[in-house]
Amino acid sequence: MGWRLPLRSLWRNRRRTALSLAVIALGTAVSIFVLGFLENSRLQIQDSTVQQYGNLQVASPLLWDDTAEDYEYLISPSDADHVTALLAADATYRGSTRQLQFSGLLGANAQTQAIAVTAIEPANGVLDFAGLAVDGRGLIPSDTASAFVGRSLAKRLSLAVGDVVTMTLATVDGAYNASPFRIVGIYRYSNEQFESQVVFVPLAFGQRLLNTSGVDRLVVALDAVASTEPARSRLVAGLANYGFPLEARTWDELSPFYKQLASYFDALFGFLTLAISVLVFFIILQVLTLAFLERTREIGTLRALGATQGGVFRQFFAESAWLAGLGSLIGAVAGSLLVVAFNSAGILWTPPGTIDPFVLASRVGPSAALPVAVSVVATLLSALYPSTRASRLRVVDALRVD
Amino acid sequence: MGSQSQFCHVRGNRFLDAQHLTKTYRVGGETVYALRDVTWSALQGDFVVINGPSGSGKTTFLNLISVIDRPSSGEVFIEGEPTSAKSEGQLAHLRKTKIGLVFQSFNLIPVLSTEENVEYPLLLQKRPRPERAARVEAMLREVGLTDFARRRPNELSGGQRQRVAIARALVTGPMIVLADEPTANLDSKTGETVMDLMRRLNEEHCVTFIVVTHDPAVSRYARRRVRIHDGQLEEGEPDGVATPAS
Repeated sequence: MGWRLPLRSLWRNRRRTALSLAVIALGTAVSIFVLGFLENSRLQIQDSTVQQYGNLQVASPLLWDDTAEDYEYLISPSDADHVTALLAADATYRGSTRQLQFSGLLGANAQTQAIAVTAIEPANGVLDFAGLAVDGRGLIPSDTASAFVGRSLAKRLSLAVGDVVTMTLATVDGAYNASPFRIVGIYRYSNEQFESQVVFVPLAFGQRLLNTSGVDRLVVALDAVASTEPARSRLVAGLANYGFPLEARTWDELSPFYKQLASYFDALFGFLTLAISVLVFFIILQVLTLAFLERTREIGTLRALGATQGGVFRQFFAESAWLAGLGSLIGAVAGSLLVVAFNSAGILWTPPGTIDPFVLASRVGPSAALPVAVSVVATLLSALYPSTRASRLRVVDALRVD
Repeated sequence: MGSQSQFCHVRGNRFLDAQHLTKTYRVGGETVYALRDVTWSALQGDFVVINGPSGSGKTTFLNLISVIDRPSSGEVFIEGEPTSAKSEGQLAHLRKTKIGLVFQSFNLIPVLSTEENVEYPLLLQKRPRPERAARVEAMLREVGLTDFARRRPNELSGGQRQRVAIARALVTGPMIVLADEPTANLDSKTGETVMDLMRRLNEEHCVTFIVVTHDPAVSRYARRRVRIHDGQLEEGEPDGVATPAS
């Protein structure tokens, strides 16, 4: 009767069993859906962050600590070559690009705008942003005094492809420098602030503007996000061997926003899971207590026939386990269907700070095992008290109950 | 059938001893005696009928000797072993291996079929499946319920249910079967059939039966008759042993 009696006992009061299964299934399904939604959103933001920062960036600690006076953090071309060679030896390495970032003032159409210039290796294939062009084109190797500007900036300063504008900045020596350049393309980006501030120029042009041959960072692309941390460890060891005073930071370290968002999502899901678990716990506790109370005499009979307290506990606990298993299984199926239905609805949403809406979607991945496990655990925990109480009934008292 | 069965060679061995059993309850701050200093023993193969008015202590006595309750004082010996110091688990083991119980309301498990109800005590004993199947089949044949093996209790008549309960009590081969008002929920004809069955099984299997009842008709089946009144027990003469219907 190991599994038969507990399983069949579920069908004594079908309405009550249906209610219990519905509660467990609903809790599981909602958790799966919400977790999938948060997970999907997090992955979208992760992809966007990696797209912006690369998997890794290698630079002097002075750059990130903001303790440098002037441009002490710049990496010389020979050092950059060594680091690139070190990176290329890594199996997960997909490519890297050198960058030089500085600020300047952009003057156009009688307006001046502070900008963040990112000098990149055009058509490098790694973070050249060419694919984001909405007008004109991205930077190409033959470009000299050219720029690829954001849609928001172009709109604000009424810029168009082909316009020639002037940039003013201070060189590494502290001298003022100004140079005209031609806008070859306009890009769009998910982040409005980024679009309105960042101007891409060819690395050689940027170095000439700044009067340096150095770069301030190497942006590294790897084969997968998961490769980031192991690759960083290997790179750090390699840098130490060569004696470079350089540091490697991962994409999530470079984006405090992503870290905050991931923590927020975790907290949100944790709170929701806790709330659902507590709800499932108390409803199932109520249902099982009532169900077991109704079977007091049967418990007395089982004990009188020779069942031990442990045996009765196991039987009632097994009944709850069936309930938990079936309920969470139904919930997993229902949650998956909910995700499919939601995804096919194609609901658009524009998150704060972004320009383009994106399709809201959820996903069912291996992490869906977590809500299933939580529902099972909540149900089993709720069964502990009634099962223990049932097993500890005095036989003679239990047999007296009608 | 009034004489001792040729199959029961060991009749007369003392199996159950109750020594100075007292059971008290606290009711409204006062001590109420359900049983007072009862000393009694059952012999193997006995068919004992315990009579007494309602509230006289019959069921209390049955509960004590079936070790589902503990006395306030005194001792119950099963096969010479005292039971008062035994743990709940040891008492459960005793009930599982030595004692069969038949209840007034049959107390069958509603979600199990006839054969599964009968099989349940064997599962508690962890008997292997082939043995369980063979014993259940034999027991159902014994009580005439082979054709009802797959039915649930709610698909059986009262008499059939009680026969299932008797089969369940006997399937493990206990030394003693204790029945509490086994005919109380049955009409007189069905009650007679059930009592006939119990007597036949007592004869054929040499199992001790102790039947608590206030039904005078049941007393006819007694080999020994005991009367409980105000928590005290007195041995009486049997009215005359009834012959089970063949």
